[in-house]
Amino acid sequence: MAEIKQEPISQKKLEYIRRERTKEMRQQMVSFALMIFLTFVAFGLVAMDLDASFVIPIVIGMAFLQVILQFYYFMHMKDKGHEYIKLMMLTGMFFAIAFVTTFIYIVWIGAPIE
Amino acid sequence: MASATKKRGVGPVIWDYMTTVDHKKIAILYLIAGGFFFALGGIEAMLIRIQLAVPNNDFLSAGLFNEVITMHGTTMIFLAAMPLLFAFMNATVPLQIGARDVAFPFLNSLGVWLFIFGGIFLNLSWFMGGAPDAGWTSYASLSIKSPGHGIDFYALGLQIAGAGTLISGINFVTTIISMRAPGMTYMRMPLMTWTTLVASVLIVFAFPPLTIGLFLLTFDRMFGSSFFLVETGGNTIIWEHLFWIFGHPEVYILILPAFGIFSEIFATFARKRLFGYSAMVFATVLIGFFGFMVWAHHMFTVGLGPTANAIFSVATMAIAVPTGIKIFNWIFTIWGGSIEFTTPMLYALAFIPSFVMGGVTGIMQAAAPADYQYHDSYFIVAHFHYVIVGGVVFGLLAGLHYYWPLMFGTMLSEKLGKISFVLFVAGFHMTFLIQHFLGLWGMPRRVFTYLDGQGYNTSNMISTVGALMMAVAVIILLINIIITVAKNQKVGRDPWGDGRTLEWSLPLPVPHYNFAQTPLIRGLDAYWIEKKENDGKMMPAESLDDFHMPNNSIIPFVISLGLFVAAFGALHFASGKEWAIDAVSDLPQHPWALWVLILGLAIVFISMGVRSWKDDLGYYVTKEEVLKDLEEQERGAK
Amino acid sequence: MANMEYNVPSERWPAHPETATLEGKNKFIGFWTFLAGETALFASLFATYLALKDSVPSDDHLLAADLFQLELAFVMTMFLLTSSLTSVYAVYHMRNNNFSKMQLWLGITVLLGLGFLALEIYEFIEYTHLGHTFRSSAFGSAFYFLIGTHAFHVCIGLVWITLLILRNAKRGLSVYTAAKVNTAALYWHFIDVVWIFIFTIVYLLGVM
Repeated sequence: MAEIKQEPISQKKLEYIRRERTKEMRQQMVSFALMIFLTFVAFGLVAMDLDASFVIPIVIGMAFLQVILQFYYFMHMKDKGHEYIKLMMLTGMFFAIAFVTTFIYIVWIGAPIE
Repeated sequence: MASATKKRGVGPVIWDYMTTVDHKKIAILYLIAGGFFFALGGIEAMLIRIQLAVPNNDFLSAGLFNEVITMHGTTMIFLAAMPLLFAFMNATVPLQIGARDVAFPFLNSLGVWLFIFGGIFLNLSWFMGGAPDAGWTSYASLSIKSPGHGIDFYALGLQIAGAGTLISGINFVTTIISMRAPGMTYMRMPLMTWTTLVASVLIVFAFPPLTIGLFLLTFDRMFGSSFFLVETGGNTIIWEHLFWIFGHPEVYILILPAFGIFSEIFATFARKRLFGYSAMVFATVLIGFFGFMVWAHHMFTVGLGPTANAIFSVATMAIAVPTGIKIFNWIFTIWGGSIEFTTPMLYALAFIPSFVMGGVTGIMQAAAPADYQYHDSYFIVAHFHYVIVGGVVFGLLAGLHYYWPLMFGTMLSEKLGKISFVLFVAGFHMTFLIQHFLGLWGMPRRVFTYLDGQGYNTSNMISTVGALMMAVAVIILLINIIITVAKNQKVGRDPWGDGRTLEWSLPLPVPHYNFAQTPLIRGLDAYWIEKKENDGKMMPAESLDDFHMPNNSIIPFVISLGLFVAAFGALHFASGKEWAIDAVSDLPQHPWALWVLILGLAIVFISMGVRSWKDDLGYYVTKEEVLKDLEEQERGAK
Repeated sequence: MANMEYNVPSERWPAHPETATLEGKNKFIGFWTFLAGETALFASLFATYLALKDSVPSDDHLLAADLFQLELAFVMTMFLLTSSLTSVYAVYHMRNNNFSKMQLWLGITVLLGLGFLALEIYEFIEYTHLGHTFRSSAFGSAFYFLIGTHAFHVCIGLVWITLLILRNAKRGLSVYTAAKVNTAALYWHFIDVVWIFIFTIVYLLGVM
């Protein structure tokens, strides 16, 4: 149960793995830069005092974009072996949106949706 | 370790069970504790029926009646039905998928102890100033006003037990995803395993909202917040939503494993492959998903507006489709089978019409306008007892008879089993069928008595007599268990003779490491295939070798105890404080409450730290030990 | 073969040390399952917050737009985002079997997390002085419960990672400890995910 059956890795394979890792690190740096950029834009949009109906969907969209970057690159969800995990997190997100929507529209404060 | 379970004193046996991480022993812990709470909930049910037997009865006072109905519901759902299902899940699932234990044996033990301590805490309310009395749903508008500590016991006790359930849910998901034997693909998993998987996923998503809801209640009652206090901006509908976001999936968490048990029983005793296996799997997953999208059908009369009601109404009716698929598949499984009328099979056969009746009334209530008529009447009581007793409890009783040899190596008496079956099923229909009509005639639920001359008298008396019959049936079942344990007549491998799935291929009692060699799975009904096409022995997927098993640990017990202690601190924290809600502001102050809370949490976090700090590498079962066991089994078989 | 093989020599260090053992794989799947549950938990918290936002007992009580300052939220976001990146570095070095660098980056993650926590405590104290407390209104209760639960997660994460740094200091890197580090890193990323929604939904939409 515990022991690992790991064959020694050949020099070539090791170099390949290292190269892949460096590549991945580059992707992670890019996604970090993107996340910082998105944060700047989001705060900027709000600070500029634009029309709320214009800003709100954009800001929420950018939050989802950041979360996708976080999940896929920082938490390695893009790698294989994450199929079950994607399914679970997607289901979780779907339920989350359902919960939040209900709590905004039908908690019976003011007029419930007709 | 566990191999040394020959003859020992009581002390070491108790210590063994307190520290065990073996899923088979944890199953027994769940069975005993769940059975105890089932008896407790049953006694409460009898008190309710005695009170309602005749009009204007004063057997229970109105306040006590409220406490009894609250505790009956809460105990039956959280402390009886769920743990008993966990007992069978623990006893079967690792064996069905060819694993030596669950994925997180430590967490498995933590789950059972949290449930036991949570259950004890909740029931201590009887002796410490009164039980909760706002119904098992504990709607905030009512529970915030409830004086004394009853609701606090409810919130804290369920919080502890709920944490245990969540942990067990995560554990089962991981076990099934990651620990299947070679060849055990998803579409070869027995239905019990499939339903356990889907129910566990539901637990993972449904219990966190309950956790939050209970925290809101806890904070309002014990820490001075104002989530539900309308005068400071609170909103009690939030509780209803959170409770039903949890509460509706909860009924599927209960019924799905029961469906799994029935599927196994139908296939075994009809001696046929389960009809429409892939449709069954599909229906299970679909029920699980829909189960999350319908919670507001419990709240049609709240005033959510016609749009919301319409959406939830349609979604609710849609659940009938996958459930119907299941019902037809079971009927087709029996159709043309060579049926053997054992006790579990009888329960399974009685389940189909009973559950269909409960399902049909469910569809009636799904129509939102009609629901205004049924709401809060005995019609509702009849409906949910038809699905929960006719579905879940029948499943538990069937499972108890069916899996008893797997868990204990003996057989329950078929004769006594059939007597209790007849009494239970007859008593069940007698109790609850008439309640549909009582509801339609206008009798509201949760009232402690009714007046003479409203036409309710005869029906209520019939209902009470039916409940008595169910009680007698359960007593006969207990006698059956006692006789079986006293006789201790051991049975061997595949005691029913028609075992299809992997768990029946194991020798009885099952060795503590389950499989000497991990088996190779060649199809659905793995053991049946080997019996028909081979010599009836599972083919090994690995050579006989040393393997690795987890260590026992007392830490789960200590963590649960810590939360139990902390709960007492939280319970008394608000008593007599000036910021406290009216319900507890008149009680005497307890300055020690904060320190008890801190002490309890310190125990919890220190134990967790210790667990994290130490390397827990487990131990090895050697090849020699396994060979010796195998020889012994060989000799036993002759 | 009866001895434990957690301490893999470097030439056999697997490409994915965190999931090389069955326990590691279980931890990986189990922890993601837990995170899926946490999604539902935080969804309930966000839902409660949105339902009770600006729901106060009297007219003179502070509302979201009066309270929140974008500058502070921005700095806190930067702290947490950067700490997410540093824990990515730690996992990178863990996979490369570079123990000392892994420890270093974990240490930096903890420091950044502490910075975030300090700002959060400062923010809470500010609000309390202004009369916006856990007990002052339903809005206050919901705000402190949502942000407080996140802060509690940060605390747990900090204690967890610190404990790992200390306990592994003597043990070094093995496939056993690698699984632990990976799990803690996943947790830390998830805290960041939650914060992204908090700064968007609570702060950004709050000041508008």
